[in-house]
Amino acid sequence: MAQLPVLGLVSHTRKVQNLYKRSLRHLENWYDRREVFRYHAVLMRKKFDDNREIKDMRIVKDLMNKAEDELFQKAHWHPRKFPESPGGVAYAREVIPPDWVLDYWHPLEKAQYKDYFARREQRKIEFIREWDKKYGKTSPVPGEH
Amino acid sequence: MAGIAKNIRALTRQAVVLRSFALRPATVAVHKCLKSSNSLVASNQFLISNQRLVSPVERCYSSKPPLSLKLITDRVLLVLKLYDKVNPEKLTLESHFINDLGLDSLDHVEVIMAMEDEFGFEIPDMDAEKLLKPKDIVRYVADKEDIYE
Repeated sequence: MAQLPVLGLVSHTRKVQNLYKRSLRHLENWYDRREVFRYHAVLMRKKFDDNREIKDMRIVKDLMNKAEDELFQKAHWHPRKFPESPGGVAYAREVIPPDWVLDYWHPLEKAQYKDYFARREQRKIEFIREWDKKYGKTSPVPGEH
Repeated sequence: MAGIAKNIRALTRQAVVLRSFALRPATVAVHKCLKSSNSLVASNQFLISNQRLVSPVERCYSSKPPLSLKLITDRVLLVLKLYDKVNPEKLTLESHFINDLGLDSLDHVEVIMAMEDEFGFEIPDMDAEKLLKPKDIVRYVADKEDIYE
């Protein structure tokens, strides 16, 4: 679902949002009691809100760099991760095979699920028809699949 | 009787281990020892093996609670209602966070973080910037968890 970001095309708002999110997660790592975390989160929000009205990009950039540096210096030694995120306990635990694997089944295996594969071929033809209608007829390049 | 005393001594030694287990298998084992009064070693072995067989809690095999579109919608709306900057009377599935509910970009980050905590997975920034309505969040979570009804 997540597309690759185009380098250098992240707006300033997104950068600040990202910094804010990381700072909150950083606080969450350090303060495991919810009410203590909330107290520090409100203070952090105050820090961001104070600098809201600054229009001069040089000052803003300097502030951002300082904040990044502070975040790096105070980073937690064992940050919490969501189970499915990279570094989490259940990361890549469940491997879902891609759909095209079914096309490489042996014909004898396919014959065991005749109805399913008949419908699958039908859907493929429909998909190609839709594709041609949307993007125009594509001719196969010689020497490539 | 000596066998029981030995057993109890072993129990106290393993108190930490036993705390996580149910008490029942131990008492059953003691009763059986009383009846049969086996030799020391045999009864001890029996007690330990019996403890290992009975597991204290039901195993869940990392399954998740069931979800449906309605459940997801309810949970999303509940999280939003409990957020102090959102007016629960104005809140609908179609209301835009920034235009209708009057949140700013940092509040939007907090909303997205609350959703991450609620559903237990990370929402990358690229996707988070598109989730501007409760409906989008419901759709996103349903897609992520493969739920279509």
